[in-house]
Amino acid sequence: MATETESLSTRIEIRGLVKRYHHQPVLNQITLTLNDGDFCILVGDNGAGKTTLLRILAGLVQPTQGEIAVGGSSLAVNPNLRRIIGYVGHQPMLYQDLTAQENLRHYARLYQIQDTESAVTHSMAGLGLTLQQDQPVRTFSRGMQQRLSLARALLHNPSILLFDEPYTGLDQDAAIFLDHTLRGLHTPGRTILLAAHRPQRLLTMASHIAWLRNGCISQHILVKNLHEAPQLSRYLQEEA
Amino acid sequence: MKPIRCYLGVIWQILRKDIQVEWRGRQGLPVMLVFALMIVFLFNFALQLSPDLQASLTAGLLWVSLAFASTLGINRSISLERETNALDGLLLAPVDRSAIFFGKTLGNFCFTSLVGLVLLPIFSLFYQQNLLRLALILVMLLGLGAYTSLGTLLSALSIQTRTRDVLLPVLLYPLALPILIAAVEASRGVLSGRALGEMSSWMYLLLAGVILFNAAGLIFYETILEE
Repeated sequence: MATETESLSTRIEIRGLVKRYHHQPVLNQITLTLNDGDFCILVGDNGAGKTTLLRILAGLVQPTQGEIAVGGSSLAVNPNLRRIIGYVGHQPMLYQDLTAQENLRHYARLYQIQDTESAVTHSMAGLGLTLQQDQPVRTFSRGMQQRLSLARALLHNPSILLFDEPYTGLDQDAAIFLDHTLRGLHTPGRTILLAAHRPQRLLTMASHIAWLRNGCISQHILVKNLHEAPQLSRYLQEEA
Repeated sequence: MKPIRCYLGVIWQILRKDIQVEWRGRQGLPVMLVFALMIVFLFNFALQLSPDLQASLTAGLLWVSLAFASTLGINRSISLERETNALDGLLLAPVDRSAIFFGKTLGNFCFTSLVGLVLLPIFSLFYQQNLLRLALILVMLLGLGAYTSLGTLLSALSIQTRTRDVLLPVLLYPLALPILIAAVEASRGVLSGRALGEMSSWMYLLLAGVILFNAAGLIFYETILEE
């Protein structure tokens, strides 16, 4: 379906973003810009606010203060922007009693994808799930559920992808599969923001790295310039 | 015209998904039905009422069964969305969030009405009265329409708390009391052979409940779901 959102740039601008829970600040004056085609790893300690930031960008949480613009259009006033955002969270967001195919079909209809069947088939094939398409999700391993969750997030071909600790709980094979998938997804015109606790394996594929500390983005640099940020380098080594 | 079609399409998709999940899992309807039947049996055997007293209490017992069974169903329906955070999946979609409310409400209403329709002949058998009357079915549908829309709205509120499993009944029963009283009075009137027109005030109260709680869902559901 041709929509006004399809022609939007995927530049994300976060300005003065604040989020408080019960008067406790979790995010404090975050300012960050991601350009078209950026693949940014978001690092930070547990509880630093990575998940909150991603959930705000996905439109799941309302910020206390501040503004987010996607392609110059405010996320708060244009809910249609959700059409170009794909989000993979901690949980797979799937119905356990439905089959993989039924889950994707449900989401495809919610996104009003015109050729639902072909989108579902293409998405399943792309993530190697064709053989399991008629199995209930509750029979899937964590890795398979993660793949299906990825298929769900990619179903509407979003140009902005948000990942929250996607490697958590994956075995080696599933993690390698995710590496390949992420490399394939990093294309011009698609912006990726991925929160990771241990980001070493991502350093070869990401373009940028942002360090979320004390509720603020303390550093946001090109991965190739990591040697110029000794504190962040040290932090990454400690986390390895 | 197209936005309305899209909106209705979302409501239908959510209802269809709920029916599909129930068909696969069979975890909601059977539990609601067994629970409602237990109440019918227990009251029937425990109270040992005379036929006259039984006739006057049937409406109340019917609504106690329906209210408890509905609450179970509504809780189950929202737990389904909480499992693996499927609710987030719905909220991520570029759809009007009030359509999610109407889809969930319609699902809860369909399941609860089905339980009610199964209960009516069983009540007729145990309480020696014919409950299979069109007027009573109309009262039941109106009452359940109001009750399930209020329940669906409050379940979205309770899902965000740690005490979610007990919070829904605590919030729902007091707020639904006017609806339950109106439903019992209207049902009692129908069972005593009065015409629906004679109970118009109770029927209007039920209708007002349906309109009010659905309007509240339309306005507040998005705010309630947003963290």
